[in-house]
This record gives sequence, structure tokens and C-alpha cells, in this order.
Amino acid sequence: MRTAALLWLVLVLAAAVYLGVRVAEGIQFQTDLTALLPQEERDPAVQQAKDRVTELLGRRIVLLVGHADRAAARDAGAALAEGLRRSGLVASVDYELRGDSLRRMGATFFPYRSGLLSTADRERLQAGRGNEIVARALATVFGPIGVADGRLLQQDPFFLLPNYLAELPRPLPRLTPDDGILSVRDGGKTYVLVTAQLNGAPFALTFQNQFIASFDEIERRVRQQSPGVDILRLGVVFYAQAGSAAATRETSVISTVSLIGTIVLVLVVFRALRPLWMTLLAIGVGVVCAFAAGLWLFGALHVVALLFGTSLVGIALDYCLQYLSARFNPELGTPMGRLRRVLPGISIGIATTLIGYVTLMFAPFPGLHQVAVFSAVGLSASFATVVLWLPRLDGAAPFGHGAKLLAAAAGLWSFWEERRFRRWRAAAAGTILVLALLGASQLVVDDDVRHLQALSGSLRHQEAELRRLAGIAGGTEFLLVHGADEEGALEAEERLLGGLVHAAGDGAIAGFQAIAQYIPSAARQRENRALVQERLTGPFLPAYDQQLGIPDRTPSDEEEPGFLTLAAIDAGSPLSFLRDFDIEQGAGGVMHVVPLTGVAREGEVRRISEEVPGVRLIDPAGDTTRLLRAYRRRAVLLLAVSTVLMLPVVFWRYGLRGGMRVLVPPAVAVLLTPLLLALAGIAFNFFAAMALVLVLSVGFDYAVFCRETDTGHRLVTMLGVWLALVTTILSFGLLAASSVAAVRGFGMTLLVGTLVAFLVSPLAGGSTPNQSRLRRGIGR
Amino acid sequence: MIARTLAALVAVLLVVPWALAQPLPGHQLSAGETLGGRFVQVRHVAGLSASLSSEGTFLLAAGKGLVWRTEQPFDTAVVMTPAVIVQLAEGREVQRILVARLPFLARFYTMLSGALAGDWGAMAREFSIDRQGGEGDWTIVLKPLDAGDPAATQLQSITAHGGRFLDSVEIHRANGDWDHIDFSGQAISSAPLTPDTVRLFGLATP
Repeated sequence: MRTAALLWLVLVLAAAVYLGVRVAEGIQFQTDLTALLPQEERDPAVQQAKDRVTELLGRRIVLLVGHADRAAARDAGAALAEGLRRSGLVASVDYELRGDSLRRMGATFFPYRSGLLSTADRERLQAGRGNEIVARALATVFGPIGVADGRLLQQDPFFLLPNYLAELPRPLPRLTPDDGILSVRDGGKTYVLVTAQLNGAPFALTFQNQFIASFDEIERRVRQQSPGVDILRLGVVFYAQAGSAAATRETSVISTVSLIGTIVLVLVVFRALRPLWMTLLAIGVGVVCAFAAGLWLFGALHVVALLFGTSLVGIALDYCLQYLSARFNPELGTPMGRLRRVLPGISIGIATTLIGYVTLMFAPFPGLHQVAVFSAVGLSASFATVVLWLPRLDGAAPFGHGAKLLAAAAGLWSFWEERRFRRWRAAAAGTILVLALLGASQLVVDDDVRHLQALSGSLRHQEAELRRLAGIAGGTEFLLVHGADEEGALEAEERLLGGLVHAAGDGAIAGFQAIAQYIPSAARQRENRALVQERLTGPFLPAYDQQLGIPDRTPSDEEEPGFLTLAAIDAGSPLSFLRDFDIEQGAGGVMHVVPLTGVAREGEVRRISEEVPGVRLIDPAGDTTRLLRAYRRRAVLLLAVSTVLMLPVVFWRYGLRGGMRVLVPPAVAVLLTPLLLALAGIAFNFFAAMALVLVLSVGFDYAVFCRETDTGHRLVTMLGVWLALVTTILSFGLLAASSVAAVRGFGMTLLVGTLVAFLVSPLAGGSTPNQSRLRRGIGR
Repeated sequence: MIARTLAALVAVLLVVPWALAQPLPGHQLSAGETLGGRFVQVRHVAGLSASLSSEGTFLLAAGKGLVWRTEQPFDTAVVMTPAVIVQLAEGREVQRILVARLPFLARFYTMLSGALAGDWGAMAREFSIDRQGGEGDWTIVLKPLDAGDPAATQLQSITAHGGRFLDSVEIHRANGDWDHIDFSGQAISSAPLTPDTVRLFGLATP
């Protein structure tokens, strides 16, 4: 044993040194929450599209700055835009549509004007109603509104380009240019629009915090300058940061409460400092080794692994507490004696728990692999500490106090064992059965990923208000359009346009945006040119010129232009947002996205997408929900596999009948917990299923401890199990108070599961022939 | 630019009630009243061999809007209301502009209602007003104040002559083009709108 202890010391020191080195180098925690989600298994192209969409659209922030006084709103907007520019954290800010940017846009489109027709004009020409266009042009030229000038009459006599530009859809329909700034007046306030593109990833923790800190400072200054100003914000980065901040806060709170609670508990129960030091040593060694192993194996750890991993401390304590509480048994005089007494129990306990964690490795979530390794190493390290070091560091004498505690522990055991409680037991079993059936009837499975997110209420309110003011709906769905080249993609989009416009009119969707609405395909531009030539300028231009007194039309010495393409739109153009929809150009073809908002009837949209080859409907939220559903089912399977894997160990040790009795507490806990939670209205989902895997391990631990004990030691064991329960609740159970629904579900399942396992654990203890002899002989 | 001209035009038409308001305060255009008349417009555009002439009638209805009906050389009409501008050719709608899309139109309509209420402060925001002459024969020159607005820079100046009513207006644009409009036969009436006018205003709803 001595060598083993020394060897362990060497290992722990090595781990500590490694950790120290890594800390000195500076540890970066992976904070990208999207890395936790499983990758789309089947289609790398779709996954890449989703990633690109998240990256591009996720970097955009939209702000509406409102004030009752128009000038104040505009000043505040300008200050906000300037502040953002100066922060260095944005790649671009859009505030003022400067006159020249609009003019430049017109100039960009101008050479291609012969191919650009508004939808209405195109329909008119296709139907042979070119005369309407002529009439309109004449009305404009002669009417009180003097738009025409000589140059325009020469180059675009029927004003086709102004009409085309005027009819382009606006991404934010309720906002209109007011002296160069997009704004809307609502409820007595003027709101101006500021948009920006971030130059960092919204899900990266450091960038998030940097940006939000900077933004808060800018906001403060703007409010100081213009009191009474309203700033509404919309952007992935805001939600991401609020979520991370909440999660970090909770981690610190939970860890602190957990640690303090454990310390207090140990002091109160053991009334001595040495058990406390030993507990802290076991925890400390476990944490150090877990960190070292995690960092060594994975390079970087994810914050979620930390959150769950540090909570694991509660389970590591189970073994430590079994050993420490053995001091309450007056028969066990020496530390080694105490160790020998509890060793079988805690060995089987850790064996079954490690089996439980190993099954986590089979889960497809990358984050859970880290949790599994982190937890398994931490647990094993604590166990090794308990077995190899604690006996050497322990004070010798058994405790004198504790009679009351033991008497209380006796209560639960006698409830299950003594005859006089038979009726109560039957009543309890009956009640549980009824509750279980009620729960089964209420059991709801909810895999919807949107219900798992805890979105900040204030941000959600701002988003709703901003959407209302700007006239946009929300949504994450989009169409992925694939074409052999840019032209192919545009033509595919054009085929979609008819269906999408109809769907929008019908209310199947609220709206959509497609590059083809702004940039027609070359084929269409060619068509338009032919239409204009055959049905407009050919038949009508000479008479028109005569009516207006246009002298000999100088034949245009412009070269035959090519076609308008997306490449013509540069970064400064008001249409620059279109470039974000072109997500892929390469040898494999071109991919465009067509974002959809307010999808109310997905079936119709799917039908529209199926009618055009190369188009797919992508529903990221829906896909994740479907994935979570599949993984929930897999987790339940893992649960079964876990149990089966644990059985051999248990049957080997306790025989068939004994093994079945040991199986009772964990089985009851696992089966009953979801049903009881259902009564409280809590839905079952993937995270609850994963928690059940841990409940199984913990349940086995308690059952094994109870099974391994004998009459003389029974109450001490019960005390140890009770202590284990309380420490588990202090760590995992606190997760039930998290604001993140996924974590909350996890915590509640563990809370209820371990409690049930505890209450039923004495059932596992049974009289073996040896034990009944002991009982008759020794008594209590 | 469109709206700027029209804004100026209508605002100038309402100089009349204002001018009359001096000696005759009761003659502002109140609810239910209309101001109607004929116009002859001559437009000079650089690059065209001749000027473009048109003539027709106009009708300003208090609280509703303006109908500008061209009879010669084509049958076209422009209906302007606070929300919409509609252009019609041969009785059929050929263009519709939502004021919300071009909000300086909304500003013009604020001016309009302000003018109807006898409040000229709104006018003074957009233009510098230079009034000369007396009640029977006056000249007003308007120059846009807002040099930054691209729409405003289209207009160089607006010169209006009038006596009892507005007689003529001359609009000069920055690119050298200019319009001259003569008005005649103006009258204020309290008669109800004709069904046709009602229909036209009805078209001009968003």
C-alpha cells in the first residue's frame, strides 16, 4: 500500500505541475456554444451552409434609436454610429444613406438599364401593353411634377430604370428614407436605423464581452447626450452574451454554494476539522487531476464541461463520506480497519459509476465527451485519494458523538425493515404507484430546441418592438439554392419567385429576400432587352420623340453592355446585404440563401422548394429539434445499456437474488423520476435522459453501500449515504435553479432521482445468512 | 424633387388665402371648401427642340388633396393626398407613389394642412420667403433653404405672382430647365365634390 500511495503522490504532483504550467501559459476555455451541438451527420454541404449563414447573418446587428424629437433621435443615431465605428469592433456601420451612395447605386445599374424591368413593366410588355408605359412616360413629362430632363429623355426615354429602382423591395418595409436616414415615426417618436456588421464571432466569449462592454459604454454616452432616448437592439451577439453571462454567474454561484454547503455540512456532522481537510483534499485532488487530464487530452476545455464537471464533486464525495462516516462505528478502531470495511462498497460503487460515465462517451455530443473524461478522471482520482491517502492521514479514534444522527439514520432503515411499518410501506407503495400512473398520463416529451434556450426577457421585448417598428418578422428558416454557376443559381431563384410571392401574399410566409429580386439573371436581362426593343422602343419611340420634340436621337455610343451581376454591388452600396446571401462560389458550384421570415405553413414552402431542382428548405431550429429527439431516444437506450453493463458486476458480487435487490433503488429512481417530474409539469427531453444515466450510477452507489453493510455498521452506512445525498443535492441539485431550461431539466431530474434513490436504498440491504446471525448475536 | 415642386406649387396656391387673410381674415380655405381653376403650363427642357405645353384644370379640396387634370395634349391626371400620389392616363391608373416611401411628401402635406389653418411657419422651414408688393399685386420669391437635401437642390427658385388669387408661377431648376404656369378662372366654392372627383380621391388611398 505504501508504494501505491507514494506512486499516487507522484502522479498527483505531476498532474499539479502540468496544470500549473498550463495555467501559467494562460488557459483558454472554449466558449463557442455552437460547438456543443452535434454536427449534421449526413450532409456536410448543408452544415457548411448553416455555419456560413450563422456567421454572416449572425454578425449583423440592427439598432433603432428613438426619441420624441426628430432632431434628437438623429443626433443620437449619429453618435451611436460614430461610437461603433470608433470601437474597432465592427467591420462596417450603416447609418446615413448619403446622397452620393444612392446616386452611385443608380450609376451602377445605369449601364444595364435596358435589361432591367420592374415586375409590373415586364408584365405589361409581355402582355403587349407597352402603350401603358408610353402613357405613363408622357404623363410624367407633361405633368406638374417635373422629373424629366434632357439627358434622361435621351438615355432612358420611358423611365424604365427609375421605375425599376422604385419598385425594388425594401428589406425593412416600414422604414423610409428621411433626409438620407432610414427612419419611421411611431407613437409620437421618431426612430432612426443604425446597422452594423461585427468583425468578430458572436459566440466567442471574449469577443462577446468585449463588444457588449464597448456597446454599453457607447450607449451610456448617447443617453447622457440625449436623455429620454430609446435604443432597441437586435442581434445574435446580444442574446449570446446575455446567455453566457447568466451561465457564468450561475456557475460561480453554484460552485460557491456547493463548496460552502459541503464545508458546513462536514463541520456540523463530524465536529472536527480533520474530516474537513480530508474532504477538501479528496475534492482538490479530483479537480486538479480532472483538469490536467482534460486539458492534456482535449487541449482546451469547454465551459459547459466545467459547469457539469465541477458539480461532479458531489458524487466524488460519496466515497470519501462513506470512509469518513465509518468513524462513527465504535467497532472500527483503526483507519485501516475502517478502510477495509468500506472498500468493497466503494469499489463496486465507483465501478458502476465509471460504467455510467463511459456510456456518456457514446453520446454524439462533443461536449459530453469532455464531461465524461473530466468526470471519470476526477472521480477516480478522488477514489484513489480516499483509498491510498486518507487512512494515513486519519486520526485514530472513532467519534464519540453522533448518537442523534445515527438514530435519525435508523429511522429510514427501520421503515423498510421492521414489521410494524408494513402498512405504511404498503401505503407508500400504493401512493407511489398512483403518482406514477398520474405522472405517466401527464408525461410530455418536448424536444423543441427553442424551449431550451433561456432568452433574456428584456432583449426579447426589444426584438419584438424592433420587428414591429421595422415591419419584419422573425425566423431562422431559409432556402438553399444551388446552381452550377451564378447564373444557374439566379435562374433557380427566379423560378422560385412566383411561388414565394404567392406564399407571401397568402400568409404562408411573412416575407423573403432573394438576390434575384434585385439582380435578374442574364437570361432574364436578355429577355427584357428583347421585350423592350420589340414591344416598346420599336413601335413607340419615333412617335414619342416627335411628340416631345426630341431631335435626332443620337445613337448611343455606349458599348453593348454585359449583364448586371452581383459583382457590381460593392461593400458601400445600400444593397450590400445581398452579398451575404451568396455564400459559396467555387468549383462545386454556387450557393445562395433565400432567408424566409414568419413561416406559418412549412408544407407549402417545402412544396415550392421541391418544384425547383437544386433548392432545399433548411430549418436549423427544426433540425436541431429533430436531432435532440433522436438523441433523446438514444440516451434512453444508453440507460438500458448502462444497466445491463452494471449487472454483471452486481450479480457477481451479490448473487442473483441479492443482485436483484440491489437493482431496486436505481431502477425505481430511474423509472419514477420522469413520472414525478411530469406531475410538476416538467417535460422529458434529452437532457433529462442524460441526467437519468447519472441517477442510475448514484442509485447503484447507494444501493451497493446499503448492501455491503452489516447490522453493526448499518446506521453508519446510512449516515454516509445521507451525507452523500445532501452533497449531491448541493452540487447537482442546484442546477435545478438554473435559468437555462436544458440545465434546469438536468438538475431537477438529478435532484428528484437521487432523493428517490436515497429513500428506497435500504431495500437493497438485505439479510444475508451472515448478517442475520450477526443481528441475533450483536443486536443494536 | 417631384414633391418639392408640387409642395412649392400647392403652398404657393395657398398664399392666396393668406394674402386674402390680411384684408379678409375669413377667406381661408375651411372644411368643405374647394379652390378650383384652370392652368396653362409651359415646360422648357434643355435638349428638346420645343417647349412642352399642357393645359387643364386643378382642384384643391380642403382636407382632402389636389387634383391636377391635364386636358391638352393628353388626358392625364395627378391626384395628390396626404398618403398617396396617383398618376392617371386616359382615366386609367399608370403610377402610384406612396408618400411613405418618399417622406418629404409627408412634410409637404404638413405644410399644406398648416397653411390651411393659416400657419405659415411650416413654409418658412423649407424656403426663404421674400414678399414684395401689396395685396392687389404681389410677388413672392421662394428659395430652398435646405442645401443638403438632394431633392431640394433640384429647385433653384420659385417665383409667384398674384393679386386676389395666384396668377402665375415660374419654377426654375438647377439644371437650367424651367416651367411657367399661368392660372385663370380661380374660384372658391362650397359646393360638394362631383362624383368623379370623389372617385379620384378614392383611388388615392393607400
